[in-house]
Amino acid sequence: MNIIRGFMTTFKHLSEEPVTLQYPEQVRPFQVRFKGRHHLRRYENGLEKCIGCALCAAACPADAIWVEAAENTDEARYSPGERYAKTYEINMLRCIFCGYCEDACPTQAIELGHEHQLSFTDRRDAIYTKDMLIDPVPEGGQDTPQQVEPGVFTRSIPVMPDAK
Amino acid sequence: MSDKVKIIIDDIEYEVPAGSNLVDMAKWYADNDIPVFCYHPKMEPVGMCRMCLVEQGSIVKDRETGEVVLDENGNPQVRWFPKLQTACTQIVHDGMVIRTNTEAVKAARENVVEFLLTSHPLDCPICDKGGECPLQNLTMAHGPGTSRMNYDDKMHLDKHVPLGDLIFLDEERCIQCARCIRFQDEIVGDDVLAFHERGRKLQIITNSDPGFDTYFSGNTTDICPVGALTTADFRFGARPWELTEVPSICPHDAAGSNISLSVRLDRDFGGRAMIKRVMPRQNEYVNEIWISDKTRFGHHFTRSEDRLKKPMIKKGGVLTEATWDEAIRFVVDALKAADGSVAAIAGSSTPNEDLWTLRKLVEGLGGGLLGAWTPTHAGADLVAQVGVGKGTNLGDLGQGDAVLIIATDLEEEVPIWRLRLKQAADRGAYLVVANARKTRMDDFASDTVRYDYGQAAHAMQNLDAAIAKKLKEANNLIIVAGAEGLTLDGSRALMQAAANFLIESGHIGKPNNGLLSPFPGANGMGLHYMGFSPEATLQIMQNPPKLLIVNQAELLADDPFAAEWLNKVETIISLNLFPDAVSNMAAAALPIQSFAERDGTFTNGERRVQRFYMAQGPMGEALPAWQVFSQLSEALGQGHAKLSAAAVMKEITENVEAFAGMRYKELARVERQFPDVGGEDLYYGGTAYQNKGGLGVQIETSADKGEAVSVGEVKLPDSPKPKKGQVLVVPVAQLFNRQSTFKPSVLVHPRVPQPYVEINSKDAARMNIKTGDLVEVMMADQIRVTVQAHVNGGAPEGAAVLPRYLTDEATPMVLTVGEIKKV
Ligand code: SF4
Ligand code: SF4
Ligand code: SF4
Ligand code: FES
Repeated sequence: MNIIRGFMTTFKHLSEEPVTLQYPEQVRPFQVRFKGRHHLRRYENGLEKCIGCALCAAACPADAIWVEAAENTDEARYSPGERYAKTYEINMLRCIFCGYCEDACPTQAIELGHEHQLSFTDRRDAIYTKDMLIDPVPEGGQDTPQQVEPGVFTRSIPVMPDAK
Repeated sequence: MSDKVKIIIDDIEYEVPAGSNLVDMAKWYADNDIPVFCYHPKMEPVGMCRMCLVEQGSIVKDRETGEVVLDENGNPQVRWFPKLQTACTQIVHDGMVIRTNTEAVKAARENVVEFLLTSHPLDCPICDKGGECPLQNLTMAHGPGTSRMNYDDKMHLDKHVPLGDLIFLDEERCIQCARCIRFQDEIVGDDVLAFHERGRKLQIITNSDPGFDTYFSGNTTDICPVGALTTADFRFGARPWELTEVPSICPHDAAGSNISLSVRLDRDFGGRAMIKRVMPRQNEYVNEIWISDKTRFGHHFTRSEDRLKKPMIKKGGVLTEATWDEAIRFVVDALKAADGSVAAIAGSSTPNEDLWTLRKLVEGLGGGLLGAWTPTHAGADLVAQVGVGKGTNLGDLGQGDAVLIIATDLEEEVPIWRLRLKQAADRGAYLVVANARKTRMDDFASDTVRYDYGQAAHAMQNLDAAIAKKLKEANNLIIVAGAEGLTLDGSRALMQAAANFLIESGHIGKPNNGLLSPFPGANGMGLHYMGFSPEATLQIMQNPPKLLIVNQAELLADDPFAAEWLNKVETIISLNLFPDAVSNMAAAALPIQSFAERDGTFTNGERRVQRFYMAQGPMGEALPAWQVFSQLSEALGQGHAKLSAAAVMKEITENVEAFAGMRYKELARVERQFPDVGGEDLYYGGTAYQNKGGLGVQIETSADKGEAVSVGEVKLPDSPKPKKGQVLVVPVAQLFNRQSTFKPSVLVHPRVPQPYVEINSKDAARMNIKTGDLVEVMMADQIRVTVQAHVNGGAPEGAAVLPRYLTDEATPMVLTVGEIKKV
């Protein structure tokens, strides 16, 4: 009797679709909240959202983020407001993909995406620089640094609606 | 301490000195941080921001009997003020009762914060103050969680207003506390800031041309309770929490200001630790919590790409790079070949450890002359005898005390002394300023004395009777004697005359009495204690040795006449931060580390020995000079090389009497200082840092120890006499100049004056020269500099005032004669 039950289980599973995927040819769809490697976002006009505030670096429990800021001018503008990230690096060997940086960011500039295939042959390659992290310029936008009209982008953080 | 009074803070009784400020006392005795924005412990209260509201009352006393009236429970009855009071404007009195933890006080604080934030931008993430911002901190501590205000209604003003070349204003962030304005007015006396407009539109403006024209502008960024004022140097340089604070000492002048070097790794510096900013470090004896703009913005030389980075030795007539081993061997051979005809000249910013090891090296070779550079200021030996007494604090001077400033332009030479003595005058000290021309200090003087250039000693001996009487009768008397418009002999005579004056009137051997001199560099007094003297330098000049070791002294850049005698030296061994004209003609040019790259000590003008610590890595292969000298000594068989600066200092303490007991551990001692600034509560005193690196130890003078003092006979020297058609050329100091250790601070360049000479209007008229004309100043038939003429009433007749270190060519160090021609 027991043996029949055992075989039934086996046969049942034989007819089921297998759960194993032929990675890397096949990739399992991600949960939307999956935290992969970071992206630095841009506004529609191409300006960088990151304002170089280093709050992400402060929030990072693994000390993986390195930010150096510099000053924007209207002749060479990278981001709205006065400050932008001149250097932005994340050491992917250190990062534990907790997403605290995303939470800390006041401009939603840094977001953890879905890329998870990170492999390196050299420790130095694990340091992702700003060029590697930043999104491509959206259509209709301009690459940074931009030359802009004076007095338009005076604020680093977009004016918020009333917090009630 | 003065009389005590009893006050009650939150039901606990404290005994505090009478006449003091309630906020200060609550903090000092009760550890009760009453929040403040506009109040600052170094300035008069104004009661503008209302953040410090407390409940206040006093214990009721019966008018007739003076007995304390008790309530039914037997407790003293308190009569409360009907409304909250601003604590910052209260002077403590007996029976004062305050409460800081009631609902009413909490509500008041919440409301004030809420009100301030109605017009404050959401800038914290990009604000240089964020992380050490009083408004942030007090909002977190006392603010309401939410606001009833409409954020769309925020005031929007200009966010990028350069107040001058060094300071930027963000008008939105200003909370209108007027600390900056009051600092410039009350403390500095350069009243260059003001409020403009009213209400929410109110802004800070500068009313000077050039903007924010003062040598102390950086301090306003420290005391500004928000990020409204930021420095051009640090702007967006880092977030405060990322910085490591390294205690250090200003390497530029005799004040020895205590500073904190904020360092952080930086890609622009190859990923190495880099000095991002210089902040004041509290030392109430030395610089309180203030530093000059030169101290704050003059740090870039430590990482200048122009620094000498590799040892160079002469091979086949050309300087070529070498390893340290080769260089040491080369120098040892040269030292041996010199056959004992060795001398050394050390610059005035050479740390004590380097001086000591250099002296040992020279002594080990049979002993040669040890010269101090620049040979302009004599009398360090007199300062060692009758200098200001141990325990002196310029901040204590006031009513009943007197200060005589003679032959120096303190604002340009030692700005911190100028700031503190100006305040002494404000507190009622009798301030006499004597000089051949008008200097900035005249503006604060009670009396001024004029004499002819070269006659300072004479003037010192023949002070106007009324002035002399007041000085002699003062409770405390300090004489600050410089060397402006003097030769070295003249400087000695002046120092002697000043010492005699102090001895006669009995103003020596006690705190706040005695002699001071604005020696150039950071270690003028250290040179003396380690056995280096300007007199020896003159002897070296007259009798050049076979081999001369030159440490951190740019002889050719400082002295137009140096080439003459330097050419007679067979072998020059040069140690310097930068390649200069001396290292170019040297047999060996060795790179040494600056103050930021190593440990060491300076002895300031008040003879306080103070430690500085390593903040940045070495430039190239540079070594600390003490290490080079120590290794040379070892190679010459003079005993083992020392392995650390601390070990060198230990040896100094054992050999130099004045330094007995000054081991590094002693120098690093700190104590609680009043007012209690720094620490966690930056809102109280600003971002001046707590002193964690040591207050230093002041060397006792001979007079302090009760030893006999000998001043020597005053020989009034013949000062140079201009012939017909000639003028006296008077070198003077200019704080912002083009010296090699200041030139790399590019951001200050707009503030460095174009080379000029100040000519008297009568002379100018005679020579048909107007302000702005290019003129040639010619000295000793061969030395010429072309500079702009200024005819602004800054020079007495027959004198041409020529600031040093503005031109590329060397200009005279001491008083001389010359001709002026229009070009
Ligand atoms: S990513 Fe966001 S948190 Fe990080 S520096 Fe840029 S703006 Fe600041
Ligand atoms: S001044 Fe203070 S509160 Fe205002 S934006 Fe700067 S850090 Fe924030
Ligand atoms: S700039 Fe700063 S110090 Fe000056 S009034 Fe405004 S908040 Fe106060
Ligand atoms: S009113 Fe007292 S601190 Fe401003």
